[in-house]
Amino acid sequence: MGLITEKIPLGDIQPVKFILNWGRKYSLWVFNFGLACCAIEFIAASTSKHDFIRFGVIPFAHGPRQADLMVVSGTLTDKMAPAVKRLYDQMPDPKYVISFGSCANCGGPYWDSYAVTKGVDQVIPVDVYVPGCPPRPEALLHGIVRLQEKIAHESIREKWSGKHTTPAATS
Amino acid sequence: MASTRRPLPPPEVESRLRARFGDDVLGFEDQHGHAVATIGPERYREIVEFLRDDPDLACDYCDFATGVDHGPEGGFEVVTHLFSTTHHHNVRLKVRLPHEEPVCPTISDLFAGANWHERETAEMFGITFEGHPQPVKLLLSEPFEGQPLRKDFPLMTREAKPWPGAAEGEEEEEE
Repeated sequence: MGLITEKIPLGDIQPVKFILNWGRKYSLWVFNFGLACCAIEFIAASTSKHDFIRFGVIPFAHGPRQADLMVVSGTLTDKMAPAVKRLYDQMPDPKYVISFGSCANCGGPYWDSYAVTKGVDQVIPVDVYVPGCPPRPEALLHGIVRLQEKIAHESIREKWSGKHTTPAATS
Repeated sequence: MASTRRPLPPPEVESRLRARFGDDVLGFEDQHGHAVATIGPERYREIVEFLRDDPDLACDYCDFATGVDHGPEGGFEVVTHLFSTTHHHNVRLKVRLPHEEPVCPTISDLFAGANWHERETAEMFGITFEGHPQPVKLLLSEPFEGQPLRKDFPLMTREAKPWPGAAEGEEEEEE
């Protein structure tokens, strides 16, 4: 991304920023990190009834290297945590994370377990939290819309400066 | 084949085990049609081998091996469940172990399927399986300390915050 540098802040020029963000927010290739039952709700959201492809969220990224968005759906254990971190690091910037369900948010019903990580945000930065156990597919759609709002108002320079933006939560 | 299937009733299993091992069978129970023998670790391997190779018992499938913590007085138990695919009967062995330094011989050379069950039992209860070919952790992460399924294992989150799920007026569990 040689064009958008500190010297030429092209991304800050309003129409360019609008078009760029508009393009990015409707082309979110998603990588489903399905770890537990929440992954079933994610699958329901991706199939024909709820169909998040109409939001431009394409659930067929071949791996983290082709993905813009990672949805962590399910219980993250301490043993799995390094794998989540590693796959997140393999995703190209700009990248986003939706934490889907109580387990991914904070450990959920396994809050006192010896083996469960108390929230995926201890390992990777999260952009949108979707609460619920499990959340309905509509909740994921809401989360995706919230993420798209966030992308629409994003400054590219800020995103790539390494500063972590404030996370959002649905309802 | 169905014609050769002869499930042994638990008393029959008991008489065969007693005839061969005598007082080394510490106790015997019939639990819902399953033969349950309590034994010591000394002749555990011999008994498993006998159960596997005796044509009438023919317990050729090791269903699972796990552990039970009975506290400082009760010690530990290694529970091994064997099943006969020819005769369709179940035999369970309970190996009594002391609470201090519980050591149990491995049966992973007799039943390859017991290998991972023993590794899990070892990491969860701190029971050493003597002669195990790969005595490393199975499910827990490498740096994990402690034996989480022991009764005295403290849940750190609960030390910081009591369990909020108790109903109104319900007495708190004694620690």
